Amino acid sequence: MAAQTTTSGLAPSEQQAKRRHPQPPRMRRSIKNEPLVFGIIGFVVVLIAWEAAIDLGMARASLLSSPTRIWSAAVTDFGNGALWPHIATSLLEWTVGFALAIVVGIPLGLILGTFRRIGMIVDPLLSALYATPTVALVPLIILLFGIGIGAKFAVVFLEALVTLTVSTITGVKSADPRHLETARSFGASRWLAFTSVTLPSSVPFIVTGLRIGAGRALVGVIVAEFIAANVGIGFYISLNGNLLNASRVMLGVLLVGAFGVFVGIVIGRIQRYFDRWRPAIR
Amino acid sequence: MTTASPALRPVRNERDRKHRSPLQRWYRNHEAWVLGASGVIGFLLLWELGSRSGVVDQFFFSKPTDIASAAVREVQLARFWNDVKVSVWEFVTGYTLAVITAIPLGLIIGWYRRLSYMIDPWLNLFNSLPRIALIPLLVLWVGLGVESKIAVVFLGAFFSIIIPTVQGVRTVDRRLLDVAKSFGASQRLTFTSVVGPATVPFITTGLRLGIGRALIGVIVGEIYAQTSGLGVLIVRANENIQPDRMFFGVLIFTFSGILGVAALRRVEHYFDRWRPVSEER
Amino acid sequence: MTEQALALRATGVRMEYRDPATRERLTAIERMDIEIPEGEFVSIVGPSGCGKSTFLKIVNGLLPATEGEIEIKHSKGGSDHAMVFQDSSLFPWYSVQRNVAYGLACRGVKRKEAFARALPFIKLVGLEGFESKYPYQLSGGMQQRANLARALTVDPELLLMDEPFAALDAQTRELMQVELIRIWSEAQKTVLFITHQIDEAIFLSDRVIVMSARPGRILADITIELPRPRDLDIKRTPRFVEYEEQIWRLISKQLSVGPEAAA
Repeated sequence: MAAQTTTSGLAPSEQQAKRRHPQPPRMRRSIKNEPLVFGIIGFVVVLIAWEAAIDLGMARASLLSSPTRIWSAAVTDFGNGALWPHIATSLLEWTVGFALAIVVGIPLGLILGTFRRIGMIVDPLLSALYATPTVALVPLIILLFGIGIGAKFAVVFLEALVTLTVSTITGVKSADPRHLETARSFGASRWLAFTSVTLPSSVPFIVTGLRIGAGRALVGVIVAEFIAANVGIGFYISLNGNLLNASRVMLGVLLVGAFGVFVGIVIGRIQRYFDRWRPAIR
Repeated sequence: MTTASPALRPVRNERDRKHRSPLQRWYRNHEAWVLGASGVIGFLLLWELGSRSGVVDQFFFSKPTDIASAAVREVQLARFWNDVKVSVWEFVTGYTLAVITAIPLGLIIGWYRRLSYMIDPWLNLFNSLPRIALIPLLVLWVGLGVESKIAVVFLGAFFSIIIPTVQGVRTVDRRLLDVAKSFGASQRLTFTSVVGPATVPFITTGLRLGIGRALIGVIVGEIYAQTSGLGVLIVRANENIQPDRMFFGVLIFTFSGILGVAALRRVEHYFDRWRPVSEER
Repeated sequence: MTEQALALRATGVRMEYRDPATRERLTAIERMDIEIPEGEFVSIVGPSGCGKSTFLKIVNGLLPATEGEIEIKHSKGGSDHAMVFQDSSLFPWYSVQRNVAYGLACRGVKRKEAFARALPFIKLVGLEGFESKYPYQLSGGMQQRANLARALTVDPELLLMDEPFAALDAQTRELMQVELIRIWSEAQKTVLFITHQIDEAIFLSDRVIVMSARPGRILADITIELPRPRDLDIKRTPRFVEYEEQIWRLISKQLSVGPEAAA
C-alpha cells in the first residue's frame, strides 16, 4: 500500500480523493414490481390505522365509520339487494350521457379544429362555456327536463361535452406542421392529410379529453342525483348523509371512487393501444 | 412547337401576399379577433331575437337584455353582496389552504419514490372520485355552515394540485440531476436548482385545474347545503322561475373562472421566461 | 519508472449491471486500468455501447463500480474533478452566468462572488456578452462552451468530458476542437475525453485509449506524437492519417460482429 503511493506520485494518501468500489456480490436488491408492492402496503397500513383509531376510541365511529363497518354495510345492502337499483340507474345515466357526449363532442371538435374560420367564430363562446362550472346549470336542466332520467342524461352529456370538444380541437391544432407539409408536398388531398396526419396526432388529446370527460360525467351524475332524484348512487349518498349513517355514505363514495378508478384503467389501456408508436417515457 | 407536352404552369400559393389591399391585410392580422367578436355578437343577437319572436322559450332561457337588467337590479341589493362575500370567502379560504398544503406535500411525496408508491393508491382513488360526492359526509362532520363548503373547495383543489406536483417531481430530467450530483450539490440545492424549477409548470397546471374544481365545490356545496352564497342565488332564482337572475349568477362564475385562469397564466408566464416562446393558442 | 505525478489512476475497474427488462446480469466493463499523468490530454474511443461513458460516470462518482478502485489527485483550492456533459445538460431555467457559476454555488460560494468568479471563464470560452441569455437562446456550440465554462469554474484537477461535441454539426465540431485545444493550453488541466470520433481523439490528445466492444476493455493505448500547437491542417498530414487507420482497424474489427456493423 505504502509502496504504491510513493511510486504513483499521487498526493499523500490522507489527502487523496479515493474511491474504492468493493461491491457486494449481489447487486442492490430491487423488489419486483415495486409500485405494486408498496402501493398495497400503503393501502393496507392506512386501513389498519383507521380501524385501530376507531377501536381505540381516538375517533368517533358514528362520524368516521371504519373499514369493518363499511364492509358490513356493504354486505347488508348488497345482500338484500337494496343497492342494485341505485347502481344500475347511475350506470345507465353515466353511460348514455357520456356516449352521447362522445358521439357529438369528438366530431364537433374535429370540425371546429379543422375549419379554421368556424373555429375562430366559436372560440370565445366555447372558452366561456369551458370556464363555466356547468354544474351551475343543473338546476335549469332539471327545470327543463323534469325530475326523471332524461334530465340526468342531459346533465351528464353537458358536463362531458365541452371537455371532449375542447381537447379534440387542441389535438387537431397540435398536428405537426412539418408532417402536414410532407403530406401536402406529396399532393395528399385534404381528406388524406386529415386521416394520415391530423387524426393520429390528435388521438392523445382526444384520449385525455375522454379521461377528464369521464370524470366530469361522474360529477354530473352525482350532482343531478343530489338535487333531484329518488334513485341512484348520488341519492343513496345524500339520503344516508341525512340519516347520519356515515358507513353507508362512505360505502357509496367508495363505489363511485372504485368506478372512477376502473374507468381510468380502461382509458389507460386505450391510451397505450393508440400510443404504441410513441417512444416510451423511461 | 410540335411537342404536345403540357405548357408550364405557374406555381401558386394561396397565401401569396402580393396583391392585397390594406383592408384585407388588416383583416388578415386581426382575423381571430374579428371572427370571435362576430361570433359572440351573433350569438347574443340570435338569443335576443329568438326570444322576442318566441322561437326560444323566454320562460326558461330569458334573453340577454333581461339578464343585463337583472344584473343591474341585483348589484343594488345588499343581499347580493352578502352572497358574493360568502362565496368569495369559501373559495379563497379553501383554495389557499389547498395550495399551501398540496404543493409542499406533493414535492415531498414525489421526491421519495417509495413513499409515492405507497400513497399512490389513495391519491388515485380520491382523484377518480368526484370530490363533491363527499359533501354529505363533510356536512355530517362539520355541519351545514360555511366550513363544509370550505372543506369541499379545499378537497377539490387539493387533489388537482398535488397530483401534477408529484408527477412533476418524478419526471425531472435525470441528466440534470446527474449534473447537480456531479458538482456535489447539496440535497437542498438540488431541490432549489433542479427539482423546483422543473416542477413549476406542473404546479401551475395543477393550480389552473384547481380553480375550476374549487368553483364547482363552491356551487355544489351551496346547492347542497343552502344557507347563503351565489350557488343559493342560482337555485332560488331557478325555483322562482327567474331565468334572468339565474343566468346572471351563472355568468358570475364564468367570469370568475376566466379571470382566475388568466391571472394564473400571468404567473405561468413569469416562471416560464427561460422557455422558448412557442405559438400557443 | 517515470516519477511524473498522476492525476488519475483506475485499477481493475469492473462494471456489471442487471438488465431491468430481462433481469439478466450483464458486464458493461470487463476491466479498465488507466493512469493519467498531470496535465495530459487523454481520449477514450470505442464503438457505441462499449462502456466508455459508463467508465466516465464511475470516475465522476455518479455510478458505483462493481469492482476496482479509482484514485484522483486531491485538489487544494478547487474540485477534484468536473464533468462536461453531453448536450442539453445546462439548466434551462438559469442564465448562462448562473449556469457557469453553478459549480461554485454547490460549494457554498455566495451568489455575487460566484457570478464574479464565473466571468473570466465565460470570457475564456468566448461567451462574453451572452451572460444573461437563457440556454435556448444559444446555438449548440455556444451551449457546449457554457457547459465547458461551468466545469472549468470549479478549477478541477481532472476535467471529464463525455462526448461534448457529439450533437454538433461537423463544422462547428471542428471549430470547437480548435477552441478546446486553446482553452486546454490556457487552463492547463488534465483531461479525460470520451468520443466516438477517431479524428477528434487524435487531434486533441496526447494519448488515445481504444476500447473493445462490450464488455469493454482496453485494446490499445496509443501515444500521439504529433507536434503541438496543432491546427486543423494537421488532420491532412500522413502521420495523422496513419494514426487514424491504425485506430480504425482496431475498432472495425469490433464492429464486424454485431448487426449494426454497417452503421
